[in-house]
Amino acid sequence: MNASAAYGIEQLNVYAGLAQIPVPALFAGRGLDPQRLDNLRMRNRSVGLPFEDPVTNAVNAARPIIDRLTPEERDAIELLITSTESGLDLSKSVASYVHEYLGLSRNCRMFEVKQACYGATGALQLAVGYLASGVAPGAKALVIATDVALVDARAGYAEPATGHGAVALLVGADPGVLAVDLGAYGTYGYETLDSARPTPEFDIADVDRSLFAYLDCLSNSFRDYTCRVADVDFVRTFPYLALHTPFVGLVRAAHRKMMREAGRSTGAVEADFHRRVWPSLVYPAQVGNLCSGSVYLALASLLDQATPAESTRVGLYSYGSGCASEFFSGVVDAESTRRVAAMGIGAHLARRRAVDFDTYTRLLEETRHVLRPEADRRVDIDPYADFLQPQRPLLVHTGTKQFHRRYEWC
Amino acid sequence: MRTTDDPVLARVLDVIRANALEIVPDADPQAVVPHSSLADIGANSIDRADIVAMTMEQLGIVVPVAEFAQVRDIGTLAELLRRHLP
Repeated sequence: MNASAAYGIEQLNVYAGLAQIPVPALFAGRGLDPQRLDNLRMRNRSVGLPFEDPVTNAVNAARPIIDRLTPEERDAIELLITSTESGLDLSKSVASYVHEYLGLSRNCRMFEVKQACYGATGALQLAVGYLASGVAPGAKALVIATDVALVDARAGYAEPATGHGAVALLVGADPGVLAVDLGAYGTYGYETLDSARPTPEFDIADVDRSLFAYLDCLSNSFRDYTCRVADVDFVRTFPYLALHTPFVGLVRAAHRKMMREAGRSTGAVEADFHRRVWPSLVYPAQVGNLCSGSVYLALASLLDQATPAESTRVGLYSYGSGCASEFFSGVVDAESTRRVAAMGIGAHLARRRAVDFDTYTRLLEETRHVLRPEADRRVDIDPYADFLQPQRPLLVHTGTKQFHRRYEWC
Repeated sequence: MRTTDDPVLARVLDVIRANALEIVPDADPQAVVPHSSLADIGANSIDRADIVAMTMEQLGIVVPVAEFAQVRDIGTLAELLRRHLP
């Protein structure tokens, strides 16, 4: 192994569906207290369509990355890991379908991981460590966080904050998006039932316990990071932060707590938040929680909004209910800004069609059963064809036959 | 609940009250009493997490998240924190 080699994220792309609902309209439709909009700080949230599922979201996020690779580079992807809390089968992984529709090499190792909103970070760290070990020279890995929303009125204030979509990360030795600081990480986790998906159609969300565990794990994973890395200061070491964003208001509280623990005065908090954290929250406020992709949606937002031109360290925090967490870091620069801008993520988000509350509830009747196992099912694309974007080919889910899921390119 | 019987519990309640009023400045100080919940005084979910975290920090204790399941109001929160004091 070359001791000076860098590893990390080579390319990053986000797919956040084709539809969105303005969060104030969702509040009004559900009769939620509009005063609490200020706490949530969400503008829109992505909404799934009946022909979308964890496979289509994953493939539609990764395809623009794959399309930019030469055949040799594509075949260098020797590891595919999908991270999802929207599994389609207790045995067969989402990765197996994704591998097929992305046309990856048959010599690619593939599997799926699950740890709520933390899964993709665990996968990224193992992929980076694996590549850095030098056992597979020249290899790349593809880590895809992909999920769908099942929440309805029962979820209360979690419904307007839950997103839909996927984030694809190409990992390798040309880490032009994020050069991961090898060995600089802190982890913290323990068993708790703060949120969970005990059936394919129902989410448990204990809001107080979940927020508390998120904040508790942030302090403790950061403390673990400081035990592994010398001379770390929460403010000075990280000119930017990208945190898992269940909703924007929680990240604000998390930042306030960390500033307090870092011994900073209350007066310094607001300006620091706007300088170091706000750029990472612009996309999450337009998409909602993307589960284990959320922290990478925040990273994309940071790069597109702050457009760093020089080498700059970013602190990242990933939290998954249940619970597992990690604080880690990496370096971004002008190349990161250029590569993420080339994906056109902001334009993709802007192209999503706005739906009104009645359309949203009609869609929800169909989409909240997307994970329910059914031997045979046909999904009619035509009523929703207007949502498809002609800019590029998109994979759609057309049904199941003997439990085998069917897909087509549109 | 008679807080005067237990000076340590009274101190915990004082710390909770001070933090609640700092995080929710609009709350009526008279309403921050043991049989009220933090939600009753206008604390949203983030405020509640903040108030509890600040209180534990100031008391120098760490309470496992799972134990908060038994908390119903400010009084039961104070009793839980009280049990973790040396």
